[in-house]
Amino acid sequence: MPARPGPAAALLILLFAPAAVADEPLHARIDKLIAAGHPSHTKLAAPPADDGEFLRRATLDLTGTIPSSAEVTAFFADADPGKRTKTIDRLLAAPGYPRRMAQAFDVILMERRKDTRVPRAAWETYLRDTFTENRPYDAFAREILSADGTDAKTRPAAKFFLDRDGEPNLITRDLGRVFLGRNLGCAQCHDHPTVADYKQADYYGIQAFINRTFLFPNAQVPTAVIAEKADGEVIFTSVFDKSKKASATGPRMPGLKPLDEPKAEKGKEYAVAPAKDVRPVPTYSRRERLAAAVTSPENPVFARTAVNRLWALVLGRGLIDPVDQDHADNPPSHPELLDLLAREFVAREYDVKWLVREIALTRAYQRSSEVPAALTDVPPDRYLVGPLKPLAAEQLAYALSEATGNTSADAKAAPLVAAFRGVYGGAAGEPDDGTTQTLSQTLFLKNGPVVRGLTQPKAGNLADRLGKLPPDRAADELFLSVLTRRPTADEKTDVTAALTRTPAADRPAFCGELVWALVTSAEFRFNH
Amino acid sequence: MPHADYACGSAAHAVSRRGFLATAGATAALGTAGFASPDSTAALARNQKRVLVVYLAGGVSQFETWDPKPGTDTGGPFRAISTSVPGTQICELLPHTAARMHRLAVVRSLNSTTPDHAQGERVMLTGRRPEAGIEYPHLGAVAAKMLGGERAEMPGHIHILPGGGGGRADATFLGPQFASVPVPDGRPPANLLRPSGLTADADRARDALRQSLTDRFSRSRRSAASEAYAASFAQAERVFNRADVFDVDRESLKTAERYGRHDFGRHLLLARRLLEAGVSYVKVSHSNYDTHHENFDFHIEQLGEFDRPFAALLDDLSDRGMLESTLVVVMSEMGRTPKINERFGRDHWSNGWSVVLGGAGIKGGAVVGRTNANGTTIADREVGPWHLFHTYLRAVGLDPERNFHPNQRPVPVADPRASAISEILA
Repeated sequence: MPARPGPAAALLILLFAPAAVADEPLHARIDKLIAAGHPSHTKLAAPPADDGEFLRRATLDLTGTIPSSAEVTAFFADADPGKRTKTIDRLLAAPGYPRRMAQAFDVILMERRKDTRVPRAAWETYLRDTFTENRPYDAFAREILSADGTDAKTRPAAKFFLDRDGEPNLITRDLGRVFLGRNLGCAQCHDHPTVADYKQADYYGIQAFINRTFLFPNAQVPTAVIAEKADGEVIFTSVFDKSKKASATGPRMPGLKPLDEPKAEKGKEYAVAPAKDVRPVPTYSRRERLAAAVTSPENPVFARTAVNRLWALVLGRGLIDPVDQDHADNPPSHPELLDLLAREFVAREYDVKWLVREIALTRAYQRSSEVPAALTDVPPDRYLVGPLKPLAAEQLAYALSEATGNTSADAKAAPLVAAFRGVYGGAAGEPDDGTTQTLSQTLFLKNGPVVRGLTQPKAGNLADRLGKLPPDRAADELFLSVLTRRPTADEKTDVTAALTRTPAADRPAFCGELVWALVTSAEFRFNH
Repeated sequence: MPHADYACGSAAHAVSRRGFLATAGATAALGTAGFASPDSTAALARNQKRVLVVYLAGGVSQFETWDPKPGTDTGGPFRAISTSVPGTQICELLPHTAARMHRLAVVRSLNSTTPDHAQGERVMLTGRRPEAGIEYPHLGAVAAKMLGGERAEMPGHIHILPGGGGGRADATFLGPQFASVPVPDGRPPANLLRPSGLTADADRARDALRQSLTDRFSRSRRSAASEAYAASFAQAERVFNRADVFDVDRESLKTAERYGRHDFGRHLLLARRLLEAGVSYVKVSHSNYDTHHENFDFHIEQLGEFDRPFAALLDDLSDRGMLESTLVVVMSEMGRTPKINERFGRDHWSNGWSVVLGGAGIKGGAVVGRTNANGTTIADREVGPWHLFHTYLRAVGLDPERNFHPNQRPVPVADPRASAISEILA
């Protein structure tokens, strides 16, 4: 392995990773630490998920959709004891993996903001390429934080800045939330009133990296690029301070020392001097130093936040929860585990796919989400049962297409995905945990033409196929296709009887209603 | 379409599986068991507080409404007329409202600080100055949450607006269940009605299967999110069952006439029906008052449309005993300049304009604050949108000093640096 992590990280690895346990795969070490997090974990924890539950969960988490009935049948029939690991590897190698990761990171980075200066298609392509190539996460972050939008090839990466209008307070806050695990928004005007660790000086230390940055020629232009001045200092005053004492700060990551900055020689402040219709280029750029400062091994919260967000993506909840509230009064549920993940992630050169794979291989991830009868208290941060996660807008769109047998190429799926984003996307700029259901969402499912178009029979789709099958086989196919399981005996009896009593001419439409009932059940709405 | 008779038959079977694909009749009986009866709904409605905001979009002129300055350099051509409150005059463009002034309180000294459409609307509806790092919920979301709550019969936050569109992030951290349900052009929410080709019986049958699957799933995996999901179908069903509330054609011709046969009249009538049905907050937008040109002609036209239905609404609420429990607010995103520009228009203005309140918790006939003789500055009792926000909450019996707790941190419901305008509270 190339010695790319800085000396501090290398030292950490030497100090904390004894060779004996280093051979043990990470997923096994994760499970040990999870088990150690509850006095009777082994006794109380739910058993492994059954095959259907596992396959549905992994397919949704790793590829953003549900398995086809053929995949389900094949998986059930596979007697190989290593079939779960095999499946995880197959899913991680499938084109669905970069698509799913692109969807997830679009939301993490942009939070459903309007596409203003970087079009959606270019952004999605950039994200997909990133995860197809499995580009190291630190390199990815550096691209996001350093692209200035002047080069068409790297312009999509500048979306984080460009589509936030280059607004320094918004970028300071969101950069802290996304990459540093800290929502310092409340520290803009004063030290955070309730979080002792969040200082106003930290907020302005981040802001000082970008306080000279602006959109050129101006924020109104959709083709605007990022530009920078050579001067401008950050001065701040707490609104709580009666004496109105002003403080100054240079660029600084929270809790770290300020950067050493070169003094520009008088008259040589600019490589390209500001003039009318000219994008200035300073000799020394504060913004150029941002990417390195954020991803530096000396800034351990970067890796810590990355692994916490990836953990939350797969397990439905961060070890630090909420993921942007990393501070002393909100400690991680499993501090040692978080340290281990961060350390190994750095040692593995920020390999996202490797980390996702290790997390997916854990027993913690593969547990059944059914609460065992003996378990009365289920603390959500102890991982005693498998995760229960509402499907994101994109997962719902893809899963519905797959379930109803209306799959199509990604390009054709775009309008459908857009429709689901419109209804399920949540508020622009607000984190969306998908745990609430609005009237318009429910009516969209109940009566809307989009869902009806998918569920009602159309040549070759599920309702159409079911209508042509003998009733008992139709019941099996229905449940396998939509819920990734066989029907229970009762369910099979009822559906078969109902189908048998339905006149042949009415059967296809009736099958459409059966499909509707399954796709609108809570069992479908959640990844369980 | 198959229906009714494809059930599995056995009664025990049906009960043990919650009537999954049972006869439509049996399902319907089970399905309604948890609903409030119409009688109890009516009782609830009488005690429950509600809020109606009539939003004069674009920025109404205070000179042509609540704070006339006839005979001054800024006053424009209209007269001031007497009202049902001795000593209080308003613009002659509002004769019907003038006769009901004893039900209303006027605040004439509002400095909303933000002479801009989008930002002004945000400030007026959130009662907060913009702050980086936090988006405050709009009054409608606050009212929906605090007056109606999660389990309200009807959606708590409805916005009736002319034309299409609507639907926005106005609930912020309170969650999307309190975001406005848009009723564009007074039409019911999208997808409220059953798709064609789906009979009531088939709908009940498919819903019984959905419910049975959800029940089976939730037995071993109950969570707040799965419960909210299950409950949302029941709410949709209740709204569907009351789809008639959205149908203003059910009102008598005489009532329709009183409200006026135009969009705003119909929208205000719809608002009354929704408030009666227990909706916590209704906002009706009336467009458009952004009169940079021809301010006076436009106000004749717009207020001519506003005046009669607004008076009719006050009468109806009063006649039905609902005025004591319904706060009525007439606001805009801003007022208009004293200076009349060369196109006979008035421009954007936030420093000294008027808002009117009435109904629940409000002292009818009160007038608070004063602008100077020609309305160019506030002469007495300057207030901001934050004071108004406190006042709205107090008027409907809510405590503005309580906290919400997004992300486990306390956020005061209303700006802690302000307080209610006590002079107009009953």
